[in-house]
Amino acid sequence: MSSSPLPGDASNDPTTDQTGRFVRQPNGRVRPLSPHLQIWRFHTTMWGSILNRFAAGALSVGSLFIGGWLAAAAFGPDAYAGYAAFMGSPLGLLIWFGITCAAAYHLTAGVRHLVWDAGAGLTPKAADALTVVSFIAALVISVGFWIVLFASGKVVL
Amino acid sequence: MSKSARFIRNVKVSERHGAGEWTAERLSALVLVPLALWGLWSAWSLSGAGYDGALDWFRSPVNSSLLAVTLLISVWHMNMGLKVIVDDYIHKPSSRTALLGLIGALCLLLAAAGVFFIVRLALGSAPLPAGLGA
Repeated sequence: MSSSPLPGDASNDPTTDQTGRFVRQPNGRVRPLSPHLQIWRFHTTMWGSILNRFAAGALSVGSLFIGGWLAAAAFGPDAYAGYAAFMGSPLGLLIWFGITCAAAYHLTAGVRHLVWDAGAGLTPKAADALTVVSFIAALVISVGFWIVLFASGKVVL
Repeated sequence: MSKSARFIRNVKVSERHGAGEWTAERLSALVLVPLALWGLWSAWSLSGAGYDGALDWFRSPVNSSLLAVTLLISVWHMNMGLKVIVDDYIHKPSSRTALLGLIGALCLLLAAAGVFFIVRLALGSAPLPAGLGA
């Protein structure tokens, strides 16, 4: 039966142990590993953190669509009409809606982080409350924005 | 290790470059808060306005300047954030360097192309590719 290497068995060469999992630290101990996603019991701030990183990634992709809009405007009426037709289709509107949600949550979660960085709201109870507020505020901003957009007739399906 | 540690109000000062990156992330985030709200307002103004509405919007120096500033700070913030994600998940040094280089190049391209388009739209230049030899 083959056994996985015991902590501390591997060499101290970081090029052969990319995770640093078995590297013996200068104090003689092995670097502690934090439990992975499946091990943790999910809790509010954990959701907040994961969703914030997800929103950041989604916004990075979304920035390409905003860049595309700038390009379409700079390339004249035909390009703009083509881009507007695609981004006004159900798929395009879904993309805009996704960007709105990601931006709204990244904004509210970012403000939450700035509050924490100022040294406030760091007890578990306050941190959870801030996270719930950031969820609700993001939902109100993004869903509210799109309800108003449709209600005003600016956007039609 | 050779340098003696510095402390400000009993908090150890980073011996390398971590503190600068930390501050830059927060500073850009702080500036982006009002700019994001302005962006939402702009999205409201621009949606359904069509090509002519968009051109009118870009002719306002306030709009085009704020959009250029928003774009540059966003891309800066995005580059820092993506670097943190890559540092967290990509452990192989060569892959990490290559990926960070690719991300940096894409960010630079997005920023440069975006500002180029905004400046043309703000000045009311003829639609591209006019002036690019076409």
